[in-house]
Amino acid sequence: MTTLALYSNKGGVGKTAAAVNLSYLAAQTGAKTLICDLDPQGSATYYFRVKPKLKSGPKGFVKGAKGVYKSVKGTDFENLDILPADFSLRKLDVLYNKFGNSKMQLKQMLYPFATEYRLIILDCPVTIGILAENILNASDYTLVPMIPTTLSVRTYNQLIAFCKKKRYDVAKIYPFFSMVDRHKKMHRELMLSVSKDFRGVLQSFVPYLAQIEKMGIYRAPVAVYSPESLASKSYQNLWDKVQKKILYPDRHQ
Amino acid sequence: MINNLKFNLPDGHDVKKMIRQLADTYTLKKEPAVTESFTIYDTFDWRLFNKSFILHSSGNKLFLRKLTKGELSHSVEFSRVPVFIWDFPDSELKDKLMPIIKMRALMPLVEYHSRVTPYRIFNRDKKTVVRLVHEEIWPYRSKRRSALTAHLSLSPVKGYPKYSRNLAKSLKEAGLTSCTEKEYFLNALASADKKPGNYSAKVNIQLDPAMRSDRAAKVVLGFLLSVMRTNEAIFEKDLDTEVLHDFRVAIRRTRSALAQIKNVFPTRTTDRFKKSFAYVGKLSNDLRDLDVYLLNQDEYKAMLPVVLREDIDPLFRHLRKKREKAFQHVMRGLKSKKYAQIMKDWEAFLKKPPPDSATASNAELPVIDLARQRIYKKYRGVVKTGNKILANTEDKMLHILRIECKKLRYLMEFFASLFPRKKINALIEQLKNLQDNLGDFNDLCVQQEYLLNITAELPASQQQVKKTLVAIGSLIETLAHEKQSVKDAFAKTFMDFSAPENQELFRQLFASKKNIDY
Repeated sequence: MTTLALYSNKGGVGKTAAAVNLSYLAAQTGAKTLICDLDPQGSATYYFRVKPKLKSGPKGFVKGAKGVYKSVKGTDFENLDILPADFSLRKLDVLYNKFGNSKMQLKQMLYPFATEYRLIILDCPVTIGILAENILNASDYTLVPMIPTTLSVRTYNQLIAFCKKKRYDVAKIYPFFSMVDRHKKMHRELMLSVSKDFRGVLQSFVPYLAQIEKMGIYRAPVAVYSPESLASKSYQNLWDKVQKKILYPDRHQ
Repeated sequence: MINNLKFNLPDGHDVKKMIRQLADTYTLKKEPAVTESFTIYDTFDWRLFNKSFILHSSGNKLFLRKLTKGELSHSVEFSRVPVFIWDFPDSELKDKLMPIIKMRALMPLVEYHSRVTPYRIFNRDKKTVVRLVHEEIWPYRSKRRSALTAHLSLSPVKGYPKYSRNLAKSLKEAGLTSCTEKEYFLNALASADKKPGNYSAKVNIQLDPAMRSDRAAKVVLGFLLSVMRTNEAIFEKDLDTEVLHDFRVAIRRTRSALAQIKNVFPTRTTDRFKKSFAYVGKLSNDLRDLDVYLLNQDEYKAMLPVVLREDIDPLFRHLRKKREKAFQHVMRGLKSKKYAQIMKDWEAFLKKPPPDSATASNAELPVIDLARQRIYKKYRGVVKTGNKILANTEDKMLHILRIECKKLRYLMEFFASLFPRKKINALIEQLKNLQDNLGDFNDLCVQQEYLLNITAELPASQQQVKKTLVAIGSLIETLAHEKQSVKDAFAKTFMDFSAPENQELFRQLFASKKNIDY
């Protein structure tokens, strides 16, 4: 089992859209995949037409709780299940703080999924507290969507500083560009310089496209309602890069 | 694991009407129908079926399922339909199949077309909560207009059990009967006149302890004859090596039964048929040897140093050519008048009911008594010979012991149905361990000798052949080492077999109270 987090300490960067589309593409390859919607807003859950309700509430998210497994729902797509969000997940930070070994709770909660799923994708809320540390501990790799703007780059730097301070392996963090507007000069320039300055930047980007925003209307991954679109191709491209560079580098040498 | 629920659809069912009725209660969406062909495979002796597996292909994929629940065990894509295990692409499915089918060929048993029409059922959020699949099956290349069978299956979506439960309930109420996966596959096989498990080379007979011994012997021999006939009939197809192997084992068992189930038939009859079957067995000796060498090709190669591995190839090419000839030789033998006459006479003899008055001293004896006597005597013989070998391990003696063990094994198998199953099987298992050791030793001796002799058949003048000879030399050396280690393992294996508790078990089961004169 490999766990991949879609994470950012900045909001509105396209985490959920990427998580939903990547999990769909992963499942299409035949790998049994689970997407965990950790965001109390429940957007990923909404995209898959599932009710944002956990039978166990946030308590299912601590080690040894069984309730959470019963909340898993099959999506409309083969090999893809979802652990839906719940509004009460907003209290997850507080909850984890109450426990000993508070930074490993999420990792331990996910263990039992290993037998059933080959890939787990975490759709994370904006956070940089204890939940963020739980996410970093629980995931094998972290994908960080980054809009090519100064603010976005700044927040990314903050994340890296945070990880270094807390001694998390920054080599497992991979940024990629999201919501890119090629018409904007600043976007183009920043992409160039960032690719030079940071290691591990995935050479694939998701443009800013109306087709992606329409996910809210169609309530499905882009490839389902608009398979030939640029939006669909850009996620496919991103997924190819994730496989080649992160998941199965050996197969592609 | 969520299991699919399958329902039989009666002949002349109207699926459109049924869907219309469901649409009154549920929001349904029909998806494009898909037509696929699928084929079910198994070995000639139903190895997969016997382990409760079903292997079938659809499109370019093979699926291994558990027969009882239809649960998917493994699947793999293929470019050409595999026949033998070594044709499979490396995969979990291959690993799973390997110990089951071993060297047997997979045969297509039935081929079908299936037309699948999926429907989705939505909840209020237009989320799929259960899938409904209508499936019709036609036999391949058939002009039949109507489907052979039709099913409706429900596959629940995880997390939405209520919908599938309710739907299943209403389908049952509408009068549909459920169909298990096992029935589904058995129906498919039955429609092509395939009867799972109808062939096995294992002695599978039921004897009555009070039965006259001559009658019991004929039951045993009759079963062996049926095995011979079955394999003889498909020999020409050259399916795999095991057709001949089963045929030969049945002959060997027949000869052993004639010799070991003593004094149940007139001596003249026994002697005559012993001779006949010795002849029939000999017909295929060469072919079987060659089969074994070719089967072990990869093992031999692995024994060689890497630099010599390619050099051995000419040897196997030579053996393959020889095999073609040997195969034709057996083919001619099986079609010969002499063979036909032997089998005809034998069949006639087995069919004839035994005469009322005994023609041999043990003919009228209850079979249980004869079985006990013979098995116990043979067992003691094996222990005695084995003990001698422990004191002084001679190759020749190991060979004699191997033959003795084989005779004992056959006797125990012929008469197994007369004894408590668990106990006798445990003893057979013990004996098998000893036989494996002795068998390995014998194989290594024979192989060494064979390789040495075969060198004379290769044209030594060619440069390539010189390399091959070096490879063969290296192989012979490895075999010699192996032989020694098998020999070293004998003492331990034999002592396990002749352990006091085992001896006690043999005594309990077989030491007869009555003495019979023979």
